[in-house]
Amino acid sequence: MAAERNPVSCYLDERTFRLCCQLFLQHSETIKDGWSWEQIKGTDEGFMKKTLLIPVKSSVLHEQPESSVQDEDMVTDNIQANVEDETAGVQAVCEIHAVLRYEYHVLYSFSYQIPVLYFRASALDGQPLSLEEVWRNVHLNYRQRLQQGPWDTLTQQEHPLLGQPFFMLHPCRTEEFMKPALDLAQAENKRVNYIVTWLSVVGPVIRLDVPLSYSTESDISLHYAAK
Amino acid sequence: MADDKDVLRDVWFGRIPACFTLSPEETTEREAEPYYLLLPRVSYLTLVTDKVKKHFLRVMKAEDVEEMWLEYEGTPLKWHYPIGVLFDLHASNTALPWNVTVHFKNFPEDDLLHCASNSVIEAHFMSCIKEADALKHKGQVINDMQKKDHKQLWMGLQNDKFDQFWAMNRKLMEYPTEEGGFRYIPFRIYQTMSDRPFIQKLFRPVSPEGHTLTLGDLLKELFPAAICAEGGWHQR
Repeated sequence: MAAERNPVSCYLDERTFRLCCQLFLQHSETIKDGWSWEQIKGTDEGFMKKTLLIPVKSSVLHEQPESSVQDEDMVTDNIQANVEDETAGVQAVCEIHAVLRYEYHVLYSFSYQIPVLYFRASALDGQPLSLEEVWRNVHLNYRQRLQQGPWDTLTQQEHPLLGQPFFMLHPCRTEEFMKPALDLAQAENKRVNYIVTWLSVVGPVIRLDVPLSYSTESDISLHYAAK
Repeated sequence: MADDKDVLRDVWFGRIPACFTLSPEETTEREAEPYYLLLPRVSYLTLVTDKVKKHFLRVMKAEDVEEMWLEYEGTPLKWHYPIGVLFDLHASNTALPWNVTVHFKNFPEDDLLHCASNSVIEAHFMSCIKEADALKHKGQVINDMQKKDHKQLWMGLQNDKFDQFWAMNRKLMEYPTEEGGFRYIPFRIYQTMSDRPFIQKLFRPVSPEGHTLTLGDLLKELFPAAICAEGGWHQR
């Protein structure tokens, strides 16, 4: 018979945020996943940061009526599969027209006591992407979810530490998906890293993947204490 | 809060006289006259400058017009800050009217957020209100309000209707002393000499010993540089 347990809080205090980030960064270092910690000079505050170069079809950057955009293979990783079919191979190569630069920041929100994901995107020449272009770059499968929640919206926001325009996934409904994950972990007496769990859910929506080894590596998880 | 009504009205009806001049970099078909306007301190630039835009569009060709943005002495003005904050931050020591320059091209992507429509301003305003309530009441008051109440709050601001606004806002300003008042005080300290746009930290209105704290206590703890050693105040 399971003992009565207090429900796990899906909120994160700042100390735990920094600890989870520290452990996350250690693992990133091990697998060369590219994350770093940016400290704000003269304070004990900071955030995690990672930059990615993402190849996209040129159609993603230009005005396109919805029906003609082949969202399924917006990412170019299926090029290899068409090696046999020469025509298809040539066409795929011609379609890798642009590389986008995505920069992701993981910050802590004191007001909501949860992490928040900020990002900015630009072409290689530095030209920033508009909200519409960023939207078009969200995989079709995620677009519906994005519009229905648990993330309310993708909006442009001022970065609270750098003061520059970034995009942000609204954190209002973080508890909706974190609570089940944390409850389950507690029920199974498993350790979790809040940042790993959270980023694995929100990241892929905006082209940020979190390799599985983050979740399987027990050294980076904490025992989630009930609050 | 009833005693404070005069103060609330003074804050709400605060105005800044501004003079808008078209940037010499803009291409015009004929000379553009400056445009004068009284700006409400509590509102947002993009919400109250439609007339400014219309005035200057009359002397410009459509193809030379992109998103309007405003600047003061070379600094792009962040429309998502309340007008009063922008003025106090950048121009409070200079003579009135506030001389603002209007641009229609070369939008400073690295400095300013885009503002495609009033719904962007509304979303931003509501998001600030929600965050403040998250700090004051764990979000319970704002979440218990209906969508039409949220709309009334926004319409009150948009249409400069004090009573309409405060009918809703007074719920958000409820300070249940039996429950310790606000959980945390929602505040931001804006500064010009820093990349960091503002200082925002958690601050309880009552000390652990039960004393109600003042603005001075808050500054002493979180921004001591604002207070001189002798106990006086630094300018801005």
